[in-house]
Amino acid sequence: MATSVDKTLAEQGVQSAEQVAAFFEELRARFDTEVLAIQDEASWEAVRHAWQGRKSGIFVLITDNWLKKANAELKAVVGQGFNALRKYVDGRLAQLESEVKAGTEAWENVKDRVDLSLPGVVRPLGSRHLIRQVFQEIEDIFFSIGFSVVEGPEIETPYYNFEALNIPEHHPVRDDMDTFYMDLPKGSPGQLLLRTHTSPMQIRTMEKQKPPVRVIVPGRVYRRDNPDATHSFAFHQVEGLAVDTDITFCDFTGTIEYFVKQFFGANVKTRFRPSYFPFTEPSVEFDVSCVFCGGSGTTASGTCGKCKGAGWIELFGAGMVDPAVYGFVGYDPKKVSGFAFGIGIDRLAMLKYGIDDIQAFFQNDVRFLKQFP
Amino acid sequence: MKVVYNWLKEFVDVTASAEEIAARIALSGTNIGGVEKGVLGGVVDAEVTSNRPDCLSVYGIAREVSAIYKTPLKPIVPKPVESTTAKASDAVRVAIESPELCARYTARVIRGVKIQPSPAWLRERLEAAGVTSISNVVDVTNYVMLELGNPMHAFDLGKVRDKSIVVRRAKPGEKMQTLDGTERVMDPGMPLVCDGDGARAIGSGVMGGASTEISFSTKDILLECAYFDPISIRRAARSMKLHTEASTRFGRGVDPEMAEVASRRAAELILQLAGGELLSGVVDVYPGKRAAKKITVTRAEILRVMGADVPDKEVERVLSALGFAPVRVDQNRGQEGALLAAWECTQPSWRAEVEREIDLIEEIARVYGLDKFPARLPVARTGAARLPQYEAETRLRERLMGLGYREIVTIPHVDAQRDELFRAANVTPAKLANPLSEEAGVLRSTGSVTVAAAIEWNLNHGQRNVKLFEIGRRYALNGAEAVETPVLAIGATGEVRPQGLHDGARDYSFADLKGDLDAIGTLSGGIGWQDGGPEWLNAAKRGRIFLKENELGAAGMLAKRVAEKYKFRQDVFLAEIALGPFYCAYYGVKNARRYEPLPRFPAVERDFSLLLADGVKFADVTKTIQSLGIVEISSIEAADLFRGKNVPAGKYSLMIRVIFQSREATFSDAQIAEYSGKIVAALEKNLGAALRAN
Repeated sequence: MATSVDKTLAEQGVQSAEQVAAFFEELRARFDTEVLAIQDEASWEAVRHAWQGRKSGIFVLITDNWLKKANAELKAVVGQGFNALRKYVDGRLAQLESEVKAGTEAWENVKDRVDLSLPGVVRPLGSRHLIRQVFQEIEDIFFSIGFSVVEGPEIETPYYNFEALNIPEHHPVRDDMDTFYMDLPKGSPGQLLLRTHTSPMQIRTMEKQKPPVRVIVPGRVYRRDNPDATHSFAFHQVEGLAVDTDITFCDFTGTIEYFVKQFFGANVKTRFRPSYFPFTEPSVEFDVSCVFCGGSGTTASGTCGKCKGAGWIELFGAGMVDPAVYGFVGYDPKKVSGFAFGIGIDRLAMLKYGIDDIQAFFQNDVRFLKQFP
Repeated sequence: MKVVYNWLKEFVDVTASAEEIAARIALSGTNIGGVEKGVLGGVVDAEVTSNRPDCLSVYGIAREVSAIYKTPLKPIVPKPVESTTAKASDAVRVAIESPELCARYTARVIRGVKIQPSPAWLRERLEAAGVTSISNVVDVTNYVMLELGNPMHAFDLGKVRDKSIVVRRAKPGEKMQTLDGTERVMDPGMPLVCDGDGARAIGSGVMGGASTEISFSTKDILLECAYFDPISIRRAARSMKLHTEASTRFGRGVDPEMAEVASRRAAELILQLAGGELLSGVVDVYPGKRAAKKITVTRAEILRVMGADVPDKEVERVLSALGFAPVRVDQNRGQEGALLAAWECTQPSWRAEVEREIDLIEEIARVYGLDKFPARLPVARTGAARLPQYEAETRLRERLMGLGYREIVTIPHVDAQRDELFRAANVTPAKLANPLSEEAGVLRSTGSVTVAAAIEWNLNHGQRNVKLFEIGRRYALNGAEAVETPVLAIGATGEVRPQGLHDGARDYSFADLKGDLDAIGTLSGGIGWQDGGPEWLNAAKRGRIFLKENELGAAGMLAKRVAEKYKFRQDVFLAEIALGPFYCAYYGVKNARRYEPLPRFPAVERDFSLLLADGVKFADVTKTIQSLGIVEISSIEAADLFRGKNVPAGKYSLMIRVIFQSREATFSDAQIAEYSGKIVAALEKNLGAALRAN
């Protein structure tokens, strides 16, 4: 005979605690059976109503027929059994509720499901020019080691572009820096030119401030070269200058190496080759191990085309500031020393991103721009 | 400078291969262009920097190799057999009228030579070095120039008038026919080598004259080896576009002391290859002999500049090998590694550019090895600062990118006619005196001209939907002064939104441009608009942009007249604003910004659908409402605008949304009704507006 909650326990002949426990055991089994039938929200609601319903739910009936009417000896036992059962049923129903509700939202209708292979709403985004990105990266690296950023005019005087940098008139270096001159009104005093490097800002900076000086100068420079895949008559540089009472060649190489490892990665090898610039002494050319062949000079298809098998790529010129330059800005060359460098940005970007035509930077084809978001 | 390996080995006894040598000297200051294998042991292409004329010779490179490989350099001691009877000084007279141009002039005379082709060994070496073989005597002069670095010239003595050589400055307009067959007007100030008749050569060896050229009938020769002032040679070579092996060497400075040795070396070779009799002695006029300079280098300075020490032995070895003859002169002589060590050096005649202590330090460092100085990061003693506009520019750029614009970088050189299309009448363009081409003749007067060019490029390459911006400079002249102004230029054309799953396609319009400019304007406290603008913008679709009272620039649709020049077949929108005041305002607004407490009472929105006559502006509506002085009005927005259906001609329908916000209390319906009534009445009275039923 099935347990009934419509009758009192006494009516069903229950007299001992064991019998009470068996009754509750049977109810729990009945609940477990009913739960198996839950498929969706409606069937869950039916079970919930049968057990937790306020008017004639099983819990209400147990309270009214079993608990309230139990004799004194069994009351505590019934109470315990009832609490345990209710806790179990409430917990299971709550758990099942979240399962059935989630199930109906996600999967009730196939047509409501999103197709993740379709795009969302596409909002057109812009992009930053690659040259600007490289400028930023370089600025950030040098800023992190105490270099301030300054900028200066592109239309310069021969004094700042040449003379004050220890390049007097008729110096052979002027032949290598073919220069654009401005067409000034007749009778103008002096000449103006398009700066051939960012180095004039070395002079302008030192004129303005006393050591210690630590600046970088991002900017555009001009040389009168016929345009081709590797030449543009306008290109970009970052000048660097550090002058203090204790700056040495070791500090110079350390700074440059730090920059290059930040920019190209820790595995890149570096070397300095003696060179010549009128405004630095000693002067160097700075090379990095070829980023395309890893410095081996060869690739799977033979000799590395980027470094022409050398394993090294020339990056930029630099050196210790020539004492003669200090004479132009009123620094005492016996007391201060420093270094300067000029990094070609376009070339650096071409190397890092494998761009083989410098003109691509300035055509601004959106198909190019899109590649560097 | 092409260095033939077998030739090099005559002066320095190294076993390393041409490639090994090239790799090694590249790290000590001689840049290497490449190594050609095979020929004569290999040919090293040395790219010699302009401060090292001494390395424009096989012997000079041999000196470098000897210093690096610690192998002795063999001395040059030519000993040609001289005539016992005839003296050179009897056969030719030499006078230097301009000693400032010609510090030394040597002449030797060889009689009875036989001009003929050079032997194979000589031709091979010359050709490997990139010099064309001509005949034995001429080839020898070139050979010795390559070997020792001193250019020289052989004259047909029979054609030298009066057997007299005068070195003087060219006269204005003076002409000479040069070896290449052209008659050239001499640059006044260049050194000329003349005989009794006139100019016979430009600086000896820069370029010979045709009249005294060596020919197969030449019997007697005058062999000249001299030193000319580098600056005047460079100036002459540039002005006459005469760039030769000789002009390069003279122009950078040859070794005057070596001139006589080189002449002797050439005589020795000519006797060997062309026979003849060398008259005894040399006519050597040397007005510009320099005393050898003394330069001192100290350990203290090496440490101060280089940051790490170089052992005494290395200092002395390197300087000796390079010819500087170092001598310890400090009081601690004999003490190894003394901190106060000082070496007095003698400047060798082939290193005129080494004049200072720092020059010697460079010599020591480059041969000792730059890699021996340990790299370290210096300590920063002061804070670092970004550019003053850094933050404002970064935020501007990011906002533009968020609005869908792509940054471009353009070259400011533009065609003068294109530039003029956009240039204001009162602006003097920054014109170049020596442009590469007419299309790149001026620096842009506006940022718009280059943005237009970028749009043109994209349209011509099938890219029809383009939104671009550039943060750059525009250029102008103010008298003889240059003005560079930072500007933002924007250009857009085509669809602002393509046809997609979620939205339909829409073309970029003036409203897009205005909205985007207003969006970036909020960075600087908001921009204002006024009618008008430059002529290159469509008169009906343009506006001037203001920041308070300052005019910043303009925006609009490109005028048809200008668009036609570019052959644009779709509407193009451009804007340009000056960034200086914009950045300035950015920081002012940022620093003045304060929190405004949020209202505690609900806001009330009321829409008014108005029928207005064409020509009545939204601003007229807002002004009318504001003139009522209802302080609770927090905003007046345009919510909808249309013409056409159900709207009479000459009128348009505008729906405005007024938001009321009180900080004191919740509005009652009666209060809102009262305000609405006042608004409608004022619009009807002042603007003739009619309220449309919704």
